[in-house]
Amino acid sequence: MSLNNLILITGRTINQGVALEGGKTTRENVRAAGICAFDKNDFIKLNCLAGTPVKVITDFGEVLVYSTISEEGPHPGIIFIPMGPWANQVVNPDSQSSGTPTFKGIKARVEVVKNAKVLDAVQLISKLKESN
Amino acid sequence: MVDKNVKTYYDVICPFCGTLCDDLEIDVDQKEQKVVEVRNGCQIGTRKFYSSNPSEHRYTTPLIRENGSFKETSWDEAIDKAADILVKAKRPLLYGFASTECDAQAKGVELAEILGGILDNTASVCHGPTLLAEQDVGVPTSTLGEYKNRADLVIFWGSNPVHAHPRHLGRYSDFVRGYFRQDGRNDRFIVVVDPRNTNTAQIADLYIRVNPNEDYELFNAIRATLRGVEIDEKEVAGVPKDDIVKLVNIMKDSHYGVIFFGMGLTQTISHHRNIDAAVCLTRELNNYTKFLITPMRGHYNITGANAVFTWNTGYAYSMDFSRGYARYNPGEFSSVDVLMRDEIDASLIVASDPASNFPAGAVKNMFKHPLISIEPHHTPTSVNADIILPAAFAGIETEGTAYRMDHVPLRLRKVKDPPGNVLSDKKILERLIEKVKEKKGE
Repeated sequence: MSLNNLILITGRTINQGVALEGGKTTRENVRAAGICAFDKNDFIKLNCLAGTPVKVITDFGEVLVYSTISEEGPHPGIIFIPMGPWANQVVNPDSQSSGTPTFKGIKARVEVVKNAKVLDAVQLISKLKESN
Repeated sequence: MVDKNVKTYYDVICPFCGTLCDDLEIDVDQKEQKVVEVRNGCQIGTRKFYSSNPSEHRYTTPLIRENGSFKETSWDEAIDKAADILVKAKRPLLYGFASTECDAQAKGVELAEILGGILDNTASVCHGPTLLAEQDVGVPTSTLGEYKNRADLVIFWGSNPVHAHPRHLGRYSDFVRGYFRQDGRNDRFIVVVDPRNTNTAQIADLYIRVNPNEDYELFNAIRATLRGVEIDEKEVAGVPKDDIVKLVNIMKDSHYGVIFFGMGLTQTISHHRNIDAAVCLTRELNNYTKFLITPMRGHYNITGANAVFTWNTGYAYSMDFSRGYARYNPGEFSSVDVLMRDEIDASLIVASDPASNFPAGAVKNMFKHPLISIEPHHTPTSVNADIILPAAFAGIETEGTAYRMDHVPLRLRKVKDPPGNVLSDKKILERLIEKVKEKKGE
C-alpha cells in the first residue's frame, strides 16, 4: 500500500532529545527518531499494523523508518519524522540563501515495506561515507 | 543515611537547551566522580548529566583512524596530526560551537582566522534566518523574567516547548506565577499556531492550524486585519477569516503579549521572511499594547556562539576568512551550502554532530575529506572521523559562560572531573592554535 501527496515535517521530540544524550549510536535512537508519525485516518489507508516499516520518498531521497500513529494529531495529509539522521535523508537541502535548509514542509509519498529492518544511525550515515 | 562520599551541588545550570534552567541539584559521588542523582531537571537535561558518567559511549583518550579502525594515541600526536590536516587544507570548515562555553567559542574564531577557513555555528541550520531578519528589521524583545511577571498573552508560533524546551512552560511562560500574574496559568491566555496539533497546542486556550509553509501569508493577513483591512478571502493559509479577526482582537486586548517562535518559521519556505513578518507584526501591535518577540533557541549556548562570534568579527555566523578578514554571507559561506557545493577540503567539528543534523548530500561531501571531531560521545560524526579529540562536558566537567535564549549570560558550574585523558574544548582549541601557528611558522 502507498500514500501520495503528503507533506513531511521534521522536528524535535522529547524522546529524540533524550536518545541523543549518550545514545546516538544505539537502537534507542532508532525507536526515538527512526520513525514516521501518521495522522490516524491517513494510517488506516495504509492498511498495516503500527510499527510496520515504511519507505518515505521525496524529491531529495528516500529512507526506511518504522510507522507510528501521531499523538500530536489530527494532522491529515502531514507526516512527521523527528529531526535526525533518518529525516535528513529526505529533507530539502535548499536554504534559499539563508543558510538553513528547508527541513519542514516537503512533498512526500510513503510505501509500506514489510519484513524490513530500519538501519541504526551509524549504519545509515556510514552508507553515505561508503558511497563516496 | 547520608552517604559521606556524595556531595550535592545546588543551583546548577543545565547545559541542554536555551532555557538554561538554573535550579538543578546534582548529587556527585566524590570518590568515583560520577553523577548519582539529578533533581529538578527535565527528562533530557537529567539524561545529559547521567551521560557524562564513564560509559562505553564516552571517549576517554584521543583516537586516530589507521587502516579503517581507530587507534589510541597521545594528545601530542593527535594534535600534531589534526594541525597537519588543517594547515594543509585550502578551505577548512570549522563548525559547531553551540554546545560549549564562550571561551572555547572565542578560541574557535581565533583558529578560523589563522587558518583562513570558513567559520560557522549551528545557528546556520536553526535560527540563522532569525539573525538575518533581526539585522533587517530589528527585534523588540525582553528577558524571560519580564515575560514571566507581566505577559498575559503568550503565543507559541511554530514552536513546541513541551518537547523542545520542556521546562520553559513551568519556569517562564505558562504555569508559573508571576509578580503581576499571581494566578499563574489562569492569568495567561496561551495561543499556539502550528500545522500539527502539538502537545503544546493541546494545553493551549486557542489553537490555530496553519497550512505548512504558509506562515508568511498568515502573518500578513493578521497585519492587514490589524490595520483595519477587510480580507476578501474566506480563509488565509487554511485559517478562517473569523479566526484571524478573533486572534487580532485577542492581541489588541492583551496588556502584555509575547510571541515565542521556533523552527516552524525558520526551517520552512520563506525562512527569514517569516521572521521579518513576525517582527513587523510585533512592532505594529505596539500601537495598541505592549508586545514583544523572542526566538526559542535550541542548544544551550547557541545564543552565546552568536554573541561571541559577533563581538570578535562583527558577524554572528556563516563567515569566510580566506581573504584574511571576516566576510559574511549566509547561503554562500553557510556550512550546508558550502558542503552541498563540495567546496570544503577538511572539517573541524566542535561539540556538534553535523552527520546527524545536515541533509544527506552535505554529509556525503563532508565525508570525502579529512574530518576532525572534538566530541565527548560516540556520534555518527565522530565514528566517521579521522581524528577524535575527546572533550570534557562544558557545564558539567568544566566551568564557563553560556547565554540564555534571551541573551542573559549565566555562569556554568563544574560538578565533577572528566573521565580518563580528557581535556576541555577550550584547552584542545588552544593546543591546536599553538600547533597550527608553529607549523605555519608564525
